[in-house]
Amino acid sequence: MNGSPLPLRATAPGGVDAATQAAAARRLAAHRRARLRATLLVILSQIALLAAFLALWEYMTAFDKQAAFMFGSPSAIAGFLMTMARDGSLWRDTYVTGVETLLGFLVGNVIGTLIGLSLWYSRFVSRVIEPFVIALGSIPIIALAPIIIIWFGTGLTSKIAMSTLSVVIVALVTSYKGAVGVDEDQINLMRTLGASKFQIFRKLVVPASLADIFAGFKLTVGFALIGAIVGEFMSSSEGLGHAIFKAGSLYIIPKVFAALVATIALALVLTFIVGKVEKLLMPWRRLG
Amino acid sequence: MSAVVSPALAARAGAPAAAGAPPLVVAHVAKSFDADGRVVPVIGDLSLTLNEGEIVAIVGPSGCGKTTLLNTLCGLIAPDAGRIGWFGKEMSGQPAGVGYMLQKDLLLPWRTALRNVMLGLEIRGVGLSEAEERAHVMLDQLGLHGFADHYPTTLSGGMRQRVALARTLVNEPDVLLLDEPFAALDFQTKLLIESDTARLVRESRRSVLLITHDIEEAVSVADRVIVLTKRPTRVKAVYDIALGTERTDMIAARESAGFVDYVRRIWADLDVTRQ
Repeated sequence: MNGSPLPLRATAPGGVDAATQAAAARRLAAHRRARLRATLLVILSQIALLAAFLALWEYMTAFDKQAAFMFGSPSAIAGFLMTMARDGSLWRDTYVTGVETLLGFLVGNVIGTLIGLSLWYSRFVSRVIEPFVIALGSIPIIALAPIIIIWFGTGLTSKIAMSTLSVVIVALVTSYKGAVGVDEDQINLMRTLGASKFQIFRKLVVPASLADIFAGFKLTVGFALIGAIVGEFMSSSEGLGHAIFKAGSLYIIPKVFAALVATIALALVLTFIVGKVEKLLMPWRRLG
Repeated sequence: MSAVVSPALAARAGAPAAAGAPPLVVAHVAKSFDADGRVVPVIGDLSLTLNEGEIVAIVGPSGCGKTTLLNTLCGLIAPDAGRIGWFGKEMSGQPAGVGYMLQKDLLLPWRTALRNVMLGLEIRGVGLSEAEERAHVMLDQLGLHGFADHYPTTLSGGMRQRVALARTLVNEPDVLLLDEPFAALDFQTKLLIESDTARLVRESRRSVLLITHDIEEAVSVADRVIVLTKRPTRVKAVYDIALGTERTDMIAARESAGFVDYVRRIWADLDVTRQ
């Protein structure tokens, strides 16, 4: 081809002329700004909603002694949080419950995930134990609390046991579902490449199940916390569950809410950490 | 038969295989499936031979059991009757020296392109640095230089299929079984990757069994096209394709004189309108 019928414009070395490139960059920047604005609007709306709720709560309890007693008030809750922070009980209780939750979360997930994944190895074994897993999974953990206290005492161990029990079945089921959900064609491909069953397990099944395993992790953060708090309700001398239980028994409602705020904060921090670890371990999921 | 014996073939343990035995002989294979108590015959009576360095395409009406045939050849399912011989040896379990590629690229999303290509070498215990080296060479040959560290999610469909091809070829298989590997690609990408595949396998005299429903692809790539009937599948016709052009250039193949005629005759054989 020699000579285009269209008037040719001077082109940059990359093959695209400078004006087009600048326009594209401008469009991209405008698009980014619009997206940032949308995100900012969402955050501002969330803050406004929370502020309105707290203001209404404060207003409704400000002139009504009985309502203030029954529901506490944001200012009273803030006051208790300050006091608890100053006397150190806030940190101590959060720390204790945090350790119980974290250990229960880890032990429960390690045991549950190991069993769930290894069940992939034998369809026979998994079919045999399926009804037992379902039966165990349907027990409300709180019903086990009295026995757990008897078996493991009133200290840290019983709380970790409660937390572990709340987690283990969920972890087992999600990881097993991940393992058996691996694409059959992918397994066949591994077989045609000459992979042994263990190689298929290590190089395909385990990494392919990571997404489900992490979905389980996110779910079980909350369950681990519930287990720890329930354990503390039954019998304990410290922890956020203990603080909630004690303040509730004494009708100090704002203090109950103050401990609840700390519990929510703990849950958020743990969930955040799980999300970070997930991104770290599965870098390919950030792309595409 | 020529004296060309690939290193992988020569090195295969316990296979002094009758020199010159064709890589694949299928004799009177039949396979039925059980569907809710009803026996559904999928493969009726199928025989075919794949010679060394030959590209054979299999075309057939949709749902004629092409994939069942392929899974049988791979040893993933057992035939009800008939014999399958790889290099003159009766088949038992997974055949060695056979590579396999599907329409789905089946790349592992947690592995980079390079590490995906290394998969088969890793499984066979090839040392890490040698495996890396060979995978790099393979990627370069398929025009993927500079994409070794990309995760599959960041690659286009054509590039992903090239990585899948590299993963198959890096193991130096004597025979490639391809099941509609290019069906999901756009036309230009398909022609390019078909040409690259033909070039690479013809250079190294590998044998290819290509299962496809794309008649033009079959005629332009293959030395021989086998047309199957609908279920229960039998061989309906066999065409030796002589196009008189360089057989690694898909454009030239499609422009050659005989091309359209073959396509028309195979199309008539498939009897699509009367289904």
